[in-house]
Amino acid sequence: MEHEVHVEKRGAEAVLNLEPSSSLSVSYHPLFGPHPDIFLLELDHKLLPDILHQRVVLRGQTDEDAVLCTQSKTYAIKFVGTSNSVFLIPPSDQSGFSDDAVDCDKKDQNQLPPVASVIKVVPGTMELSEVAPKLDKLKFLLFKNPYTSEEDIDMEGFEQVQTGLYKWDDLVDLVQASDDELRSGLQALSALEIDGYWRVVDQKYMDMMLRVLLHNSVLNDWSLDALHQDKVLDVLESDGFPRKLAEHCLCVYGHKVNKGVVTNCVWKLDEQKVCVHFAREILRGGKRKMESFIDEWNRKVPDSMQPSFNMLEGEVLTERFGAEIWMRAFSVSSLPLSPAERFSILFKERQKWEWKDLQPYIRDLSVPGLSSEGLLLKYTRKTQPTVDAEPVFSAR
Amino acid sequence: MQIEIKCSCGEKCPEWAIVEVQGVVEVQPDFRDRIPNLPIGLLCRPSSQEVYTFTVGYHELTGTKVSLKKPLLVLKKVKQPDADENSPGVELEVIGVIRHRILFKTRPKALISKPQPTVKGRAKAEDSAVPNQIA
Repeated sequence: MEHEVHVEKRGAEAVLNLEPSSSLSVSYHPLFGPHPDIFLLELDHKLLPDILHQRVVLRGQTDEDAVLCTQSKTYAIKFVGTSNSVFLIPPSDQSGFSDDAVDCDKKDQNQLPPVASVIKVVPGTMELSEVAPKLDKLKFLLFKNPYTSEEDIDMEGFEQVQTGLYKWDDLVDLVQASDDELRSGLQALSALEIDGYWRVVDQKYMDMMLRVLLHNSVLNDWSLDALHQDKVLDVLESDGFPRKLAEHCLCVYGHKVNKGVVTNCVWKLDEQKVCVHFAREILRGGKRKMESFIDEWNRKVPDSMQPSFNMLEGEVLTERFGAEIWMRAFSVSSLPLSPAERFSILFKERQKWEWKDLQPYIRDLSVPGLSSEGLLLKYTRKTQPTVDAEPVFSAR
Repeated sequence: MQIEIKCSCGEKCPEWAIVEVQGVVEVQPDFRDRIPNLPIGLLCRPSSQEVYTFTVGYHELTGTKVSLKKPLLVLKKVKQPDADENSPGVELEVIGVIRHRILFKTRPKALISKPQPTVKGRAKAEDSAVPNQIA
């Protein structure tokens, strides 16, 4: 076949490079048909390199709408139909759709009239819109089986196949999020990888470890601003905690202060995280009168730390009954990430919210293409009795 | 589950073309079972401008070549022969990209006489049958 020499005279190339004062016959391709396996996906120029370098996947279970994930972002896919006739013309050398067959009975390719063949009429295109990753499912999966103290014994044993636990590869199969979003989702849940499985650690277990750590810091006269990793891990290990979990305790309640130094890391405990932990522990048993809560909170936190009320934003709600103020746990981390569900729960909790109370419970919401003002407009009704009064938000 | 989007063309994705007209091009009943290779119409670029005419049957459309604001990928579902129960069994393969279309967005103009083919050698095919009309 010589058609390669005259390739510009046929197929899509002929349409796109049609010379002035010339014409081209458009006909149905020998293989013209509905070809449901061929479809068009519209995408932004900036996503092209990701596609061309094969960094893009579709994710979703059969009962979910598929999303398209790049390394860092998640996109919903929507079919947009058209009533126009969109004739799709492949290039002349497209393997599988070569229109050689059209003219196989003609001998001289040079004499062939230029022709472009339509392989299918496209009913519409798939379009993408950026969406928030579906991380509520990640939370749901991991909290089905948090790591508890009973598992410590197993850890030293040989690896066994676990059910209801998820490896990274399972999570990317099950959760509609990009790799980057999944990673930061795991971090936000304080998850860690144990024997290849991503786990969250039971709150009671974390509480035990933190208490042992604080107890030992008093015994050994350690500064909570400069904890030596080796010493801490040794002590926690001798108390029966696996080293990996002990290190996780430092990650959850503190941060490294000597970054870059590989050996003998030094950690500083985070005042806010430790104080919030004990506030949660106190309120785990139910609501408390403010005075008794503050009393116990001050007693529970380490001496070097100063608990303050603004640490409890997004963690605790206060309610006034007559002269008494009561406090009760209501943690933003326990709420769904999807805005519709989040607002629904918030307005079930309270019919009316002042901005200063509401803000801590919605500031983590992020919806691509929607500002926080847009979120409020969409999901709340704002009322302001007088010009200088505080605005109040209620359900729409 | 995950469906990978494969692309074997690297930076040189073959470019496909779209010719888009309003409404539907109907094949006349006599030709409905002979669609393969059936001519639809004649695409003509009368001048050096990006203005085109598309003659379908006794109708002429006038349109322009438009660059797409966002490119379109041509994707093909490919069954994987070695799929196990944990894999979706399909991959998507990028087989082309579309950056331009020739868009005819106006209503057709009726030609009073038969379309005069502008390219020699095409005359016979055009004269022998007018298999399409714009509905």
